[in-house]
Amino acid sequence: MEVVARRPGERKDAWSRRVLALTAVASIGFLFLVGQLWYLQVLEGGKLQELSERNRIRIRPVAAPRGVLFDRNGLALVDNRPAFTLSFIPRELEDRSSVLARVSVLLKIPYSELEEMLARVPADSLRPVRVRRGLSLEDVAKVEERKLELPGVIVEVEPQRVYPTSSFAAHLLGYVREVNDEQIKQGRYRRGDLIGQTGLERLLDEYLRGQDGGERIEVDALGRPVQVMQRAEPNPGAQVVTTVDRRVQEAAERAMAGHAGSVVVLDPRNGDVLAMTSSPAFDLDRFTGNLEREDWLRLIQDPKYPLLNRALQSQYAPGSIYKVIVAAAGLQEGSLTPMDRTYCNGQFHMGGWTFKDWKAGGHGHVDLRAALVHSCNIFFYQAGLRVGPSAMARYAKAFGLGGATGIDLSGEKLGLVPSPEWKRQRFGRPWQAGDTVNTSIGQGQVLVTPLQVARMMAAIANGGILWKPRLIQRVERVDGAVLYSEQSAMTGHVDLSPAVWAFLRGALWGAVNEGGTGGAARVAGLDIAGKTGTAQRIAKSDSRRGEDHAWFASFAPAHDPQVVVVVLVEGGGKGGQVAAPIARQVYQSIFLERVAVAEIRSGG
Amino acid sequence: MMLRIDRRLLLNVDWTLLGAALVIIGLGILSLWSLAPGRTGSSIALRQLVWVALGLVALIVVASMDYHTLVRFAPAFYVAGVGLLLAVSVMGRMVAGARRWIHVGPLTFQPSELFKLIFILTLAWLFTSRWAQPPSRASLLWTGALLGIPLLLVIRQPDLGTALVLVPVLVAVLVGIGVRLRVLGGLGLAAVAVMPLAWLVLKDYQRERLLVYVDPFRDPLGTAYNVIQAKIAIGSGQLLGKGVSGATQSRLAFLPERHTDFIFAVFAEMWGFLGCLVLILAYALLVLRGFEIAVGTRDPRGRLVALGVTALFATQSLVNLGMVTGLLPIVGIPLPLMSYGGSSMLVSLMALGLLLSVRMRQFH
Repeated sequence: MEVVARRPGERKDAWSRRVLALTAVASIGFLFLVGQLWYLQVLEGGKLQELSERNRIRIRPVAAPRGVLFDRNGLALVDNRPAFTLSFIPRELEDRSSVLARVSVLLKIPYSELEEMLARVPADSLRPVRVRRGLSLEDVAKVEERKLELPGVIVEVEPQRVYPTSSFAAHLLGYVREVNDEQIKQGRYRRGDLIGQTGLERLLDEYLRGQDGGERIEVDALGRPVQVMQRAEPNPGAQVVTTVDRRVQEAAERAMAGHAGSVVVLDPRNGDVLAMTSSPAFDLDRFTGNLEREDWLRLIQDPKYPLLNRALQSQYAPGSIYKVIVAAAGLQEGSLTPMDRTYCNGQFHMGGWTFKDWKAGGHGHVDLRAALVHSCNIFFYQAGLRVGPSAMARYAKAFGLGGATGIDLSGEKLGLVPSPEWKRQRFGRPWQAGDTVNTSIGQGQVLVTPLQVARMMAAIANGGILWKPRLIQRVERVDGAVLYSEQSAMTGHVDLSPAVWAFLRGALWGAVNEGGTGGAARVAGLDIAGKTGTAQRIAKSDSRRGEDHAWFASFAPAHDPQVVVVVLVEGGGKGGQVAAPIARQVYQSIFLERVAVAEIRSGG
Repeated sequence: MMLRIDRRLLLNVDWTLLGAALVIIGLGILSLWSLAPGRTGSSIALRQLVWVALGLVALIVVASMDYHTLVRFAPAFYVAGVGLLLAVSVMGRMVAGARRWIHVGPLTFQPSELFKLIFILTLAWLFTSRWAQPPSRASLLWTGALLGIPLLLVIRQPDLGTALVLVPVLVAVLVGIGVRLRVLGGLGLAAVAVMPLAWLVLKDYQRERLLVYVDPFRDPLGTAYNVIQAKIAIGSGQLLGKGVSGATQSRLAFLPERHTDFIFAVFAEMWGFLGCLVLILAYALLVLRGFEIAVGTRDPRGRLVALGVTALFATQSLVNLGMVTGLLPIVGIPLPLMSYGGSSMLVSLMALGLLLSVRMRQFH
């Protein structure tokens, strides 16, 4: 069979005929099209026009719940709960000024503020603009009742942070707040995103945020949802298991109530941070809702600096706690021995200056151990001169003072360990014997943070290991897959002979249990070892000058150390009177069972 | 030089064809611009204008060349074209789950668009070669083999639209060279027999689109959403259209892919039935004029080139318009000269250039 038809004589016209046939097919296609358009636009037009009128589709982001933070025992430190958010859909605000005015009156939000929020987004945006988070039920009812008068105004349900108490572990957890313009400029966030701004919330933000979902909802002319067209489920944030012990944290915060300062509780065996407080604290709750501008200003201008994390962002003179360093340096270097004795009459003269002891009249005859137990300044003035400023500085640094602890929270202060070289570089003046005297009791230029002191005490408790304070055990997805985990990390080691360690621990035990300065920390049934400190404020010519900072740095049980507790009370006065009793309360909460048993025994 | 244009040629420029094309291009840019007046809208329209300018230059270059030369080089183009398609499937850029684009400096280019032209030139070369005279079963088999390779590559990309467009072009050329209806019918039956195989090659979303054509409410949340929204947009334009500001369907982004495949729905909503009539008339004029040029050409190569190009235009515009108005399933074919997209615009204008080239040399 021939593939191509051939009819002689027709060859010339055949091409035209065939092309004409194709033309006819195409023309029929175009006619069909016109017919369909006539049907759609003219016959069905009215109906479809109506459909298009009602066709309102909203694209709504569905916020991902932020990851939950747990303490070491699985108790939640922060959780989520559904909260109401008032939002505008710019494109649907038909009569913008009157709708804004109504909302302004209804919810008592300044009109200008509403206008300002809308000014930041395009007027034809379909994406809801959050106006106020954390609406009260009462406000929700008000808006819902007047829905018809408020086109373009919607109330959404979104997960919101909820805290055990409003200021619980505020500095540790950190607050969550809407991104600011600066952060949007960096390009990683969208307007309206909630991100962790401080503390763990900020550190772990990438993990905690999750991924927002979205849905396309068809709504009717009144804005009532008709059906969900499409929904992409949000991906919840990962959860974090911290090293914090919520019970201990709560006890520490309770004990610090009414004081300014910080409590740090570490596990000397691995560097885990069991508790870390800073007071005065701020209310985390206030940030999740709409923080009024005035409230924010009040917070950052508060003379008590509630936003400051005193555990690592404030530096204080260590006071007598530094004597432990002086003793360690002297014993290890051989410039001091446990047998060294001196007579303390309460005064020490040198080069026309008189340095006083804190105890008028002095402590009488003291040896090194007694000097630590009773915190005798006179002894340590002389001891410091024997040990020398360079050795003191070297040992202080070995114990991690004057350097970062490496904790993951940002803004850590380094403290300061003065030495002759430092003074020459910094001030261009030679180091004086008076500087040594001052430094040997932790005054003068020495500065430390409570966290540094806690790490130092942990090294004394565990025989010299400096741990990086660990806050996070692991980060895991909701389905349990581990995304990140952190092991304890050693960052340094203090090399002292076993005899020196034993001497130091014994002396610190004595300070609490042999009628020393730390006696107020004693807890029945528990051996606590500790050192008090009373730090003079760095002379500032303001009215707050005068009251001293109270320190108490300790660990327990003395022979098998499991926790380190460091307490600092700003302007608290004497360490033994103010800080030690606070440490006592913390110990009672940690060793609850042991303490209870001891009390029953002594009672029976 | 190639660009030296004979005065006699210039006299034979087909102004009707060019005029119709320019009307369509103008309406397309207007639609793009009115989609979102403001920065984004105008930047899309501007970019499209740049492509139109490039395309017009290409049109002039192609028209001034003798199409005989192009047909003679068709085998080389074919090899290069298949190479490009292979390159795309290896190193192309993934967009929306498909590898169709290649980067050329700052631009992205879709080789499958260009291949449409190469396909036409190859057909013209094949069926006018001496060894293929008269067309026999053997030469038909050759055609099948030569076209099967690129077709498979295109389908794999996956670009179902391009693959589907090539088939009617082939059929039109076969009809043109006078293949008997019986043989065509046999080929058709063979194609139907291969269909289940094709079904296996199709991606899930492509199958879904075909199924949705049969039953639009199969999935009102997903694929059918496009069909329904496009119908609402077109229908609500009614007789006179809603104008630019009233076109809520298009402006409010209910329409998916509104600046590319669904641009006609935007136009229809804004300008109504009367506007559509003008636009469809322009397309029909272009296609009819193309067939007229084919009829009026004596040179067998010119005939096949003109027929192929016209068939390509007719198929693309009819399939796109049919799918947007709900007559055909959605297969992702852009509306030539109107949809946003550089490759499509450039290739459409080059195709017009081919048609003009044939027309200008009709009376040699």
